[in-house]
Amino acid sequence: MSALKIGAFYNPHLGRELAAAQGIDHLAMADPPRADDPWWPKIQARYTLLLHDYLGQLSEPLDERSIQRARSLAELYRTPWVAEHFQCLHTEDGAYNLNYVFPPLYTEEFLARFVANANALKGRLDQPLVMENIPGFFDVRHSQMAEPLWLRRFFEATEVGFLLDLPHVWLEAHYRGVRPADWLAEFPLEHVVELHVAGVTEDPDLQGPWIAPAEPAEEMLEFAAHAATRCPRARAVTFDAFSPSLTAEVLLRSVERIRAALA
Amino acid sequence: MTDRALHDLVIRALADAPFRRSAEWRQRALADPERVDRFARFLARHFYFERIVHFFKYSGALARLTGRRPDAVLSQTSFDALLPSLVLGSQDSARAVAELVVAHVKSGAPSPPIPYHDDLLRYEQTMMVVEAGPRVWREPSVSETKGVGSGEWEAPHKVEGTALLDLIYDLPAVLPKLLRPWTTVPDAPARPVRLIVARSRHGRVAVAKATDAIVSIMDLADGRKTLDDLAREAGLRPAEVQATLQGLTELGAVRFSTGS
Repeated sequence: MSALKIGAFYNPHLGRELAAAQGIDHLAMADPPRADDPWWPKIQARYTLLLHDYLGQLSEPLDERSIQRARSLAELYRTPWVAEHFQCLHTEDGAYNLNYVFPPLYTEEFLARFVANANALKGRLDQPLVMENIPGFFDVRHSQMAEPLWLRRFFEATEVGFLLDLPHVWLEAHYRGVRPADWLAEFPLEHVVELHVAGVTEDPDLQGPWIAPAEPAEEMLEFAAHAATRCPRARAVTFDAFSPSLTAEVLLRSVERIRAALA
Repeated sequence: MTDRALHDLVIRALADAPFRRSAEWRQRALADPERVDRFARFLARHFYFERIVHFFKYSGALARLTGRRPDAVLSQTSFDALLPSLVLGSQDSARAVAELVVAHVKSGAPSPPIPYHDDLLRYEQTMMVVEAGPRVWREPSVSETKGVGSGEWEAPHKVEGTALLDLIYDLPAVLPKLLRPWTTVPDAPARPVRLIVARSRHGRVAVAKATDAIVSIMDLADGRKTLDDLAREAGLRPAEVQATLQGLTELGAVRFSTGS
């Protein structure tokens, strides 16, 4: 495994701090830069940028407009890979939209849809495609296989990269009542290109932990260190926090602690 | 039923609280109802947090004078009371949540007073309500290249949800200043303006000053009148009608039905 690059998400309200920061190798871009962002030129000139925008849900083929948008953002960022999520968050007719990442059903039909549409998207991009796992808070009884197997079959059929979100794995393990390391071992880690690390906090609606713009706890850092040793093709680790409430102190300290944990 | 259609039911159950209580959903027993309820509440708070922060950003910038952050309403019992009736993305739900925000922000009398505060809250509320509704996520594979005056798309109709907003103060003149650093609250010129607020098929909300020609066409565009009808009834030149319709189409306020 070559040395992992350690980065964070570009949070525009922290542009000043990020433009001057030390110890950050890359920034993931969740939104296009705003035209009035005074820090964007410095950020663009200084950092390796990773395209991590919402491009579309691959339960349906991306339309030409979305593909052109993805291509144009990839060119703007000069991104080494393009990331999208295993998600299906709006109904096919557009009537209902959760506005939040939500996993597909783990069935043969959805697998065929995601494989076909990811292959089509991959063929239209000039950079490799990577896909990020999304946590489920509950199981849908209609699912036909466990998420790790569904993902394994997807990656074998498409040969796209795996963006392994570790807090997502950790949360699923928590809600299933299994050890995170045991649950992680089920995933196709040989395909991992990038890892996400983040904090979790207690959510009153969920009555349990969920992803939050917070520092990763020691347990999460140990989990990240464990996971990194099992992902031979991983190239980057990103502190996954993108929120107006995120402070520069939390972002910078989290990156520093991730780097130390993986050293 | 395909897996995709079944998944749509799960999405609807998470987005639509009344549907979640229906026999149609519950009898399917697709998931642990308690877990689904908890996740739906989480999603609702997240959904409206994003919209309140975005559409009430000017009130957010004024919070140090009003003492009321717009998103604080999400942790109040009044929002919890709405949860059983919320349908994420519906105009009724957007209106109900926006009304809570307006009431909350108004409850903190700003010091010193902001003359255009009521106008500002109406503007923000309108933007949030207009944004709600189904949206087109994917364009059809065959592009629609027909446009104004092609002879095939000649019956413009006003898009449901488009709003005209009469204000006492010229808000567009002050809005950008509110988001920049200020020590004394920026003034808005006391001159009436009429704005049109519309939403594209993709869910983008846009606002523009409404001219008399725009107001006339918005009154008359019912999906039956042709461009010639509109020009005659509005007392406008055909070229003026075409130009106005072009702008309204780009804004999302008007669409064309096939003339058949």
